[in-house]
Amino acid sequence: MTELRHAISGTPPRPIRSPIDKIALLAAPGLLYLAVLYAIPLLLLLLQSFRSEDGGITLDAYTSFFAESYNLEVLLRTLRVAFLTTLLSLAIAYPTAIAMNRAKGVWLTVFLVAMVLPMSLGVVVKAFAWSILFRSNGALNQTMEFIGLIDAPIRMLFTETALVVGAANVFLPFMVLPIYAVLRQQDEALQHAAASLGAGPIFRFFNVSLPLTLPGIVAGAAFVFSMSISMYVIPSLIVGETQQTLPMLIARSFLYLRNEQLGSTISAILLIIAIVVVLSSSFLAARLGAKE
Amino acid sequence: MRAIAPSSVESAVPYMNEESRDARYLEVVMVRKSFRGTTVMDEMNFRMARGELVSLLGPSGCGKTTLLRIIAGLMPADEGEIVLGPRNITNLPAHKRNISVVFQNYALFPHLTVGENVGFGLKARGHAKSEIESPVRDALRLVRMESYMDKPIAGLSGGQQQRIAVARALVVRPDLLLLDEPFSALDRKLRETMQVELKSLLRDSGITAVFVTHDQEEALGVSDRIAVMNAGRIEQFADPSTLYARPATPFVMDFVGLSLRLNGTATEKADGACDVGTSHGSVRTPIALRKGEGAVIGVRPELVRAFPSGEAPALEAGRNRVEVVLEDVMVLGSKTMLHGRCDEPDRLVCELPGIKAGFARGQKVVFDWAIEDTLAYGAAA
Repeated sequence: MTELRHAISGTPPRPIRSPIDKIALLAAPGLLYLAVLYAIPLLLLLLQSFRSEDGGITLDAYTSFFAESYNLEVLLRTLRVAFLTTLLSLAIAYPTAIAMNRAKGVWLTVFLVAMVLPMSLGVVVKAFAWSILFRSNGALNQTMEFIGLIDAPIRMLFTETALVVGAANVFLPFMVLPIYAVLRQQDEALQHAAASLGAGPIFRFFNVSLPLTLPGIVAGAAFVFSMSISMYVIPSLIVGETQQTLPMLIARSFLYLRNEQLGSTISAILLIIAIVVVLSSSFLAARLGAKE
Repeated sequence: MRAIAPSSVESAVPYMNEESRDARYLEVVMVRKSFRGTTVMDEMNFRMARGELVSLLGPSGCGKTTLLRIIAGLMPADEGEIVLGPRNITNLPAHKRNISVVFQNYALFPHLTVGENVGFGLKARGHAKSEIESPVRDALRLVRMESYMDKPIAGLSGGQQQRIAVARALVVRPDLLLLDEPFSALDRKLRETMQVELKSLLRDSGITAVFVTHDQEEALGVSDRIAVMNAGRIEQFADPSTLYARPATPFVMDFVGLSLRLNGTATEKADGACDVGTSHGSVRTPIALRKGEGAVIGVRPELVRAFPSGEAPALEAGRNRVEVVLEDVMVLGSKTMLHGRCDEPDRLVCELPGIKAGFARGQKVVFDWAIEDTLAYGAAA
């Protein structure tokens, strides 16, 4: 009867009030998953870094970490590598994203496959392939020596440069895709409007294209930077023990030194850096996008 | 001649004088354009005077937007030349042409404020910040948006966005203003207001402007002259009244305004006139057509009179008459439209002023109009 009445009067039945939006419940599995596998274990790890030997709370672990110059060197290297990796990825990704945005049909597919396919290969395979190319008696050195560009083989593996180049290669898609996504949304008429108002290519780039792609750049940079500071496999394979980074130091603390407090202390430092990067980038992205 | 004051342009549009340099202010000469082997524009020639407002009118795909883009430099022509004032701009990139464009969706920069949008062109031309503020303020005052100077673009209504787009285009003092379907994104009421507003604004600034539109009412209302385009060609280039009263081709007749239209065959010649046999009887035309030739005749519906059969007076000399069965009677307030029963592509329509009673669907009526008002086209047209 009621349904009939609603059908006649045209007013929908009044929804029953519920304190919880039912749609919001869809987030529950994800939240639960994150809590059990991310938040809780991490919290336990953090707590461990503050525990003193007698069971109290102390910052000793942190002060002793920063007192060691070797640790600072590793921290600095980690940040430097992450920064340079982000910069290199951006330098390669930006023009790539522009080209992808111009590409149509088959070419766009080629670009997307080229972007995704290497990800399925895995870092290990890549790293060994690189070593064939870059090692002292590798293909690149032999070719350069043959042409006469160099007299003796150049050391390319086990250097910071190699690490940056390798990391950028692995993380490149995470820079390209956010920038591409932003570019795709951009109205081509904006470029035409700028041109018809007398703006040449360089002025257009700095005053239209760049500001409008900044949110994509910030997102991509946040991805690549946070992945770069926490990468373990890539530096292990490319530079090995000679040039440690924070994640390698963490692994060594847990696996070899059996020093769980040191490990969790470095983890906490890494986490803080990551949080700062993610928060400041989302703040930046929100500010840049504010006028849109 | 070059330093002509903007206010004097309006009164003396000199396009009738072919010798004047201002009469050939913008010239499009023998422009050709094809996309992937399909020719969309062949030997396009187009010329307009300084201070004129010209519309490119045509259905979608007729090449009007292509022509606008070629003039603006946003798309290269395959062949041909574009001359603007004393400059041959054929090979100049868009940003060196000094031609502003108002785009269909306005293309305002979402990351800039209203004031920054309007000042963009001046900044791009290398003006210092201090030199930009006052012209920007003037331009915004012109479009009554001065108080929006520091507001973001988001949240502006369609009409406001259009005003900003126009201010942004005019503030750089362009040699030519192009408008690509500038009203199509606005609802009907607002569109009419903006048309009046923009027309007087363009007149006051003395600018030379080209509108691209598919809306014939808009073209008739806004422009000095209209180029009706079809399939990459200009079918007729004339002022609105000529275009309406004397359309050069059946396409123009059908595209600009409504008309009664009958297809038939020219039968008989008589003193420069001619009879055309149609499925609704014989119609006399004021011009001669070749005997046996297929022909299209038309007449504007407001020039047609209607009488219920039987009440019709005797046929006067110099008039045409067809008998029709009414298919529909539409009372539209300011006018009443009578539609007669016929087969495509024939069309039988009569427009009577005001609300007219006494006509009903299925009724037999007589449509009656002057021979001199009859438009006639041979197969060649």
